[in-house]
Amino acid sequence: MQINEQMLWNPLRRLGFATDDLLSKGAFGAITGRAGVGKTSFLVQLALNAMLRYKSVLHISLDYPVKKINLWYKEVFQHLAKQSGIANPNEMWETILPFRFIMTLQVDGFSVPRLMERLKDLTEQKIFRPEIIIIDGLPFDGSIPGILADLKPVVAENLCAWFTVKTHRHEAPAADGLPTQLTGVKDLFEIIIALQPEGSEILVQALKGADPSCGRAVVRINPSTMLIQVAG
Amino acid sequence: MKFDLNKVRNIGISAHIDSGKTTLTERILFYTKRIHAIHDVKGKDGVGATMDSMELERERGITIASAATFCSWQSHEINIIDTPGHVDFTIEVERSLRVLDGAILVLCAVGGVQSQSITVDQQMKRYNVPCIAFINKLDRSGANPFRVIEQLNEKLGHTAVAMQIPIGLEGSLEGVIDLVHMQALYFDGENGETVLRKEIPAHLLDEARAKREELIDKASLFSDDLTNAILEETEITTDLLISAIRRGTLSRKLTPVFMGSAYKNKAVQPMLDGVNLLLPCPMDVTNQALDMDQDEAPVTLSGKPADPVVALAFKLEDGAYGQLTYIRVYQGTLTKGATIINVRSGKKTKIGRLVRMHADQMEDIEAIPAGYIGALFGIDCASGDTFVSPGINYSMTSMFVPEPVISLAIVPTDNKSQINMSKALNRFTKEDPTFRTYVNEETNETIIEGMGELHLEVYVERMRREYNAVVNTGQPQVAYRETITRKAEFNYIHKKQTGGSGQYGRVAGFLEPVPEEEFVFDNKVTGGTIPTQYIPACEKGFRQCLAKGPKMGFPVTGIKITINDGASHSVDSSDMAFQAAAHGAFKEGYAKAGAVILEPIMKVVVETPTEFQGNVMGSLNQRRGIILGSQEDGPQCTIDAQIPLSEMFGYSTVLRSLTQGKAQFTMEFSAYKQVPNAIGEELMKKAQEKKSKVA
Repeated sequence: MQINEQMLWNPLRRLGFATDDLLSKGAFGAITGRAGVGKTSFLVQLALNAMLRYKSVLHISLDYPVKKINLWYKEVFQHLAKQSGIANPNEMWETILPFRFIMTLQVDGFSVPRLMERLKDLTEQKIFRPEIIIIDGLPFDGSIPGILADLKPVVAENLCAWFTVKTHRHEAPAADGLPTQLTGVKDLFEIIIALQPEGSEILVQALKGADPSCGRAVVRINPSTMLIQVAG
Repeated sequence: MKFDLNKVRNIGISAHIDSGKTTLTERILFYTKRIHAIHDVKGKDGVGATMDSMELERERGITIASAATFCSWQSHEINIIDTPGHVDFTIEVERSLRVLDGAILVLCAVGGVQSQSITVDQQMKRYNVPCIAFINKLDRSGANPFRVIEQLNEKLGHTAVAMQIPIGLEGSLEGVIDLVHMQALYFDGENGETVLRKEIPAHLLDEARAKREELIDKASLFSDDLTNAILEETEITTDLLISAIRRGTLSRKLTPVFMGSAYKNKAVQPMLDGVNLLLPCPMDVTNQALDMDQDEAPVTLSGKPADPVVALAFKLEDGAYGQLTYIRVYQGTLTKGATIINVRSGKKTKIGRLVRMHADQMEDIEAIPAGYIGALFGIDCASGDTFVSPGINYSMTSMFVPEPVISLAIVPTDNKSQINMSKALNRFTKEDPTFRTYVNEETNETIIEGMGELHLEVYVERMRREYNAVVNTGQPQVAYRETITRKAEFNYIHKKQTGGSGQYGRVAGFLEPVPEEEFVFDNKVTGGTIPTQYIPACEKGFRQCLAKGPKMGFPVTGIKITINDGASHSVDSSDMAFQAAAHGAFKEGYAKAGAVILEPIMKVVVETPTEFQGNVMGSLNQRRGIILGSQEDGPQCTIDAQIPLSEMFGYSTVLRSLTQGKAQFTMEFSAYKQVPNAIGEELMKKAQEKKSKVA
C-alpha cells in the first residue's frame, strides 16, 4: 500500500528537528505538560508517523485500558487521513496496525524487570519487535532516577523511548527553564518538548534537542482535531 | 398480589461445576418452601442416584434450570434466574445477565477459586452485577474458608470480607458465627430448618472479635457514619454496619462472604438473609434501553410503574398450554388487556394472560410492574424481543444481528432423534437470532450456523440433553465470501436459436467494489436499449449470481453493478433471455474484476493469569493473529487480538493445556477481510480436490 507523502510529513521538523524519527537509537525523549493538554494524543501522532514508515511502536500505558488507547489511535488516524485526503483510510489502517502493540500495566505494577520480562515474551516468540517505546503515565517522582537508569541499557541497542511527564500548574519551572520533574534526570533526555496552553490553543515548544538551523516555526496543536500543525 | 419493589430480588447463582450449585439451589427451594423434601444429588435414596442435575430437576417436577424460579424468604420475593454456564460471548449469555440484579458466587471450601469461578466472576464484572459469595462444603476434608477469601482477593481482585466464621470444620462443623449480630448459629431439625441463635463459644470469641473488627474496618470505607462511630467509639448498630456493607456490595467494591455446607444443611438460611439485606432491589439498578428512532442511542429507563412499558422477553418455554414467555419489566406496568408492541416485528399484541411462577403452581395475575418478572401466554415472539407501549420505540437489546460465520453439518443417529432434532432446531432458532439452520440442497444435510465453534457445540449438547436428539456432527466450515477489488466492464449477448422462438438479450455496463454494502444495482440505461420491462429480469439475473461466486462458489458480497446499455429483439427477447444475459455478463465482468476470497476475522479476548501471558500470546501469534494489546489487571491479564476464524478451531483445548485450564477466551465476529494469497491458493486446491472427488 502506497503511503501518502503528505501523511508522512512530520510537522515537528519545522520546530528544529532534523529527522522524522526525532530520537536517535538508545535515546530518551519527554513530552511535558499539565494534565489534559494532550500529551497522549501528541505521542500517538509521533507513533502513527513512525507506523506509517513501517516502524514498530510499543505503547505502554499506565493510565488507560487498551480499548481507550486504541480509540485514540483510530481518531487521530482518521483526522490525519482526512487532512491528507486519503481515499481508502481503512486499508491503510489495516496495513499499519501490525506495527503497533499496546500494553497496559498498573502504575503499582510497573518495574523495569517486569517490562523486560514482557519484552522478552514479545521478541523471543517473534510476536513483536519494537523500535520505539512509548511509556505514558509513569509518575516522575522520587523513584524515577532509578527507573530511568535501569531502562537506559534496555533501550541502548535498538530502541528509543518517549515518556510523558505531567507537570503542575502551581509549580514554577526550575532555573534552567525545565519542569522540576526533570531536575536531576534531564541529561538522560535527548529531546524535551513542552505543551504549553496559550489561550484556546496549545503551543508546542522544544525545550531541549532542537537545532535552530533546521527551522524555528511556531507549532501548535489544533484544539478540535488535536493534530500538530505549523501555525500560519 | 402486593407489590413492594424494595422486597424483590432478581438473582443468579453462579458456580464452578463441582461447588454444589444444585445442592445449594435445592436447599434454597426447600427452606423457602418451594419444594417439600430434600433428595440427594449423589443419590443415596435412589431418586437422584444416577441422574445428573438437569434430569434430577425434571424428575422433581421443578425446573431449576428454567428461566426464573420464584421463591419467598422473610417476606422478600426472590427470582432465581438461570445463568448459562458457558463462556461463549453469545446473545443468550448477555440476555440472561441483563435480567439479573445481583448474584451469589458459590465457591468450594476445598477447591477454592478455580478456573470456572474466574469465568463466572468475569461475566459478573463485565455486566457490573453485584454479588455476595457463599463458601460451600465446609464439612469436607481440607476445607479452609479463609484461604478461599484470600484467593477471592488475590485471584479475582475482590475485596472479600467474612460475614461469618465457622464453628468447627470438616467432620466437626457445627454451625457459624454471625459477625454482624455476634451470635452463634446452629441448625436444628431433620433438615436444618430450625435456626438456633446462641452465645458465641468462649474459645471462638477472640477470633470472632478480630474478624468483626476486620469487617467493620472494610465496611467503614463505604459509610461516613460508620467511620464516625468508630472514631467516636460509639456503639456500632447492626443497621449501620449492614447499610455500609450493602453500599460496598452494590458498588461491587466489597464482597461479603457467607459460608456453610448446603449438603449438611448448615448456614443456607443466613445466606438467604444476606440476599435480602445486601443484594440490590430493582430500584438500585439503572437500566438502559436503545432508542431505535435515534440510531440506537442509549436511554436510561425511569423504572417507574406509571411510565410507558419497556419489557424484555428473555426466555421461552414450552408448556402444557403453549408457549410461555418469561418477561422482565424494566419500566411501566404490563396489565391484562393492554396493548403492547413487539419492537422487532412491529406487531401489536393484546395481553391475554399474565402469570407468575409460584410455589408449585402458576398464579394468574392482573399486572406486572417495573422490576418484576412474570410470564405471558399466547404471545408469538422470539427470545430477546422487547415489548413497549405504543408511542415509544425502545429496545433492550441491539437489533443488529451479525451474520453467522461458521457452519456444521448434523446428522441424527435415528428416526426418533430426527423428530426431536427438528423440534429442538425450531426452538433454538426462535431463542437465538444468531443461530440458524437450513438443509443443503446438494448434500441433503441439515446445516446449523452460528457465531463460533463453542456456540454450535452448546446447541448440539442442548439437543442431546433437552430434546434427547443425538446427532453426529461434521467438520466445522468457515463461511468464506467472495468480492471484487477493481472496476470491470461487461458487454454480453445472449443469443439462442434452437427451433421455435429464440432467446436474445444484450446487457452492457460495469461492476465495481462497494465495501460497505452487500449488493447495489444501478440502472443507467437510456433510450430504451433494454426495454423497461426487462430491467427487473436483469437485476434478478445478477442477484442469482451472488449466491455462488464464480471464483470458488462462496457468496459474493460488496459489489455494485451498473447497467448502461444493451439490446433487445422484438420477438426473441424475454425475461428469461435477459436473466441469462445477466448471468453471462456477470461472469464476463467478474473474471476481470480481481476477485478475492474474504474470511471472517474474530475479535478474540483471552483472560489469563499473568504467568501464562507469554505462552498465550505465542499461541495467538501462531494463528495468523494480530495482537492489539495486553492489559494487566492484578494477577490477571487480558489479551486482545484479531484472528481468522479458520485458525481458531480447537483453540479452547490448546488454551487449556497451555494454562493448566486457568485461562478462558471469548470470541466474537469482527469483520470480513481478504484471505492472504497463500491461504487462498490452498483453499482453491482443496475445492478442486473436492470437485474431482465428486466427479
